[in-house]
Amino acid sequence: MTSPLAAEGLELRCLLDNVQGLVDALTSIHWKKQQDAVCELSEHGMVITVEEWSCLQGRVYFRKELFRTYEYHADVRPRFGVSLGLLVDCLNTFTSSSGTTALELQYPGSDMQLTLKLVDANDTCIYAEMRTRIPDTLPRDYSIEDEGLPSYFAVKSAALKEAIDDLEWPGSSISITISSDPPGVTFKGEGHGDLQIEFLDNSQTDLFIAFHCDQIVSYRYKYKFLRATTANIPTGIMKDNRGSKLTIGAGGLLKVQHLISVRPSPTHQHHSDPSNTQQHGRVSYIEFYVLPDAEDGAEDGVP
Amino acid sequence: MKFKAFLTDHGVSLLERRFVPAFEKIGKICHIYLTRDHVILLHNVLNADGVQAIAQFNKEALFEEYRISSQNEDRIAFTIDLTLLSRALKSSISMDGDKLQVKLVKKRPTLSERPMPYLTFESKGYRSAVVQDVPISQPLTRADVQELQYALEMVQDLPRTLVQMPDLLQVQTLVERLKNVGDVLEVAVTQYGDLHLQVTTTMVSIGSEFRKLRVLGVRADSSTIEGASNPSARLEQALRNREASSVQVSMKHFTKSLQCHLTKPDASFCGVSPNDSCLLLMFQYYVPGTRQTDNSLSLHYRLPVLDPGVS
Repeated sequence: MTSPLAAEGLELRCLLDNVQGLVDALTSIHWKKQQDAVCELSEHGMVITVEEWSCLQGRVYFRKELFRTYEYHADVRPRFGVSLGLLVDCLNTFTSSSGTTALELQYPGSDMQLTLKLVDANDTCIYAEMRTRIPDTLPRDYSIEDEGLPSYFAVKSAALKEAIDDLEWPGSSISITISSDPPGVTFKGEGHGDLQIEFLDNSQTDLFIAFHCDQIVSYRYKYKFLRATTANIPTGIMKDNRGSKLTIGAGGLLKVQHLISVRPSPTHQHHSDPSNTQQHGRVSYIEFYVLPDAEDGAEDGVP
Repeated sequence: MKFKAFLTDHGVSLLERRFVPAFEKIGKICHIYLTRDHVILLHNVLNADGVQAIAQFNKEALFEEYRISSQNEDRIAFTIDLTLLSRALKSSISMDGDKLQVKLVKKRPTLSERPMPYLTFESKGYRSAVVQDVPISQPLTRADVQELQYALEMVQDLPRTLVQMPDLLQVQTLVERLKNVGDVLEVAVTQYGDLHLQVTTTMVSIGSEFRKLRVLGVRADSSTIEGASNPSARLEQALRNREASSVQVSMKHFTKSLQCHLTKPDASFCGVSPNDSCLLLMFQYYVPGTRQTDNSLSLHYRLPVLDPGVS
């Protein structure tokens, strides 16, 4: 039986309540003006990926639970390229609607466009048609295997951002060391000067939301890549201050994961604890993968 | 050439809080044109590019004891720096004076220089008086005054159809965001009361359609376009029916013009002038406490239309 979606030649039709949530998530991976993104659609939701210099990748996972409705029908997962800046600017236009109606997204149009439409209560319609491209290259599929349990730690997002912002002063290359004895994390920058920031895991501070380290690991990363992982997160999201998790996998691959809350809609906001179960489903993931500095990347072990 | 009048409190607040701030957003220098019955502020009317703005007040709306005389049918026009005008009006309020006299004078800035024209604001308080001289240009020539007069008359040549704009702040929020996508804005007005604001670039076409707005002038029945499923199709059909006009204007001009909300209009209308010569925005003000249009003041903006070949 053909689905109604297939009959219309569509692979995706979905309704999004909180456009601002998607704008915020995409803004977080928008680190420069001209940035090509690859959007992949699936039965689970949308993944938008941007890559830079093959050393830095940013991904936004917008799961289908974050949409009011999500209809998907395709044999092969559709992938298309768009300009990230343009997508953010377009979506932002839809946030100007004060009403409570949802944004409808459809793909593909007759010319493979992404179409967006929002009709509010007083007959005002905001619409957009974005041209899409066939992506030149497919994003690399980075992942960190759970085997051997890699070292990781999680802190409040604002604490991580503050540390990375402070490291701007020495700049250039930053080493991140996760050690088990004493348990803690050290960021060390050597450039115009030296700066060391230590996150210590002890009972007096509740800095760490999670911490795991079996064996000391230490790798260096380019400052500009590290900065990209936190610099563009909108202040509204930072205020929420959920968690950010950093994992160092085999070969020094660094994964930075942020959780951001996506409220159902501005008008349906509850003044409740953001960590309550009701809102657990309303979370979008933003991930960054950073490759270690090639020159002296293999610095595994005691620095 | 003589001009002397007393600004009323209402006149000061109209200018200082509403019209001068809105005009400052368009440009620093504007024309003031005084006639026997009207006081008119004009922007960019003697050059073709830029947003033209024309605010016309009955003399009673701003002044009392209004006296004017000149050899050019009692018409005087000059340019003034709006920042200086605004500053003079502001400090006259803090004076708490009983009367604010405005007068055209010629003074020597220094003994060695030639006399220069000024608009003098003299506020007399109970114990003190403050005199502020705002420098102005030399009075405009007869020919230039005539040009201003033409511009005024042109504004009376209204589009055949005007639609009432939705809430200006809502439009402003939308346009502020569209501005990031492109710098040319397409504005279309239909006789059914629809207003389309759209930006089209090679990568994207994005816009908003406001429907069923109030129409002034020629209107048509919208049933012919109801079959169309989306805004672009509706507009295309309306243009084919010759029941719509669509023009392109500079996004910068349009955003500047939306600063008109500073004048607190009670109703705003938008239309395309005959022959698609310009986009006209017209604003109405109600008599306080009523829904009757106050005919003692009016404001019009004319936005130059871009040649479609350019974009």
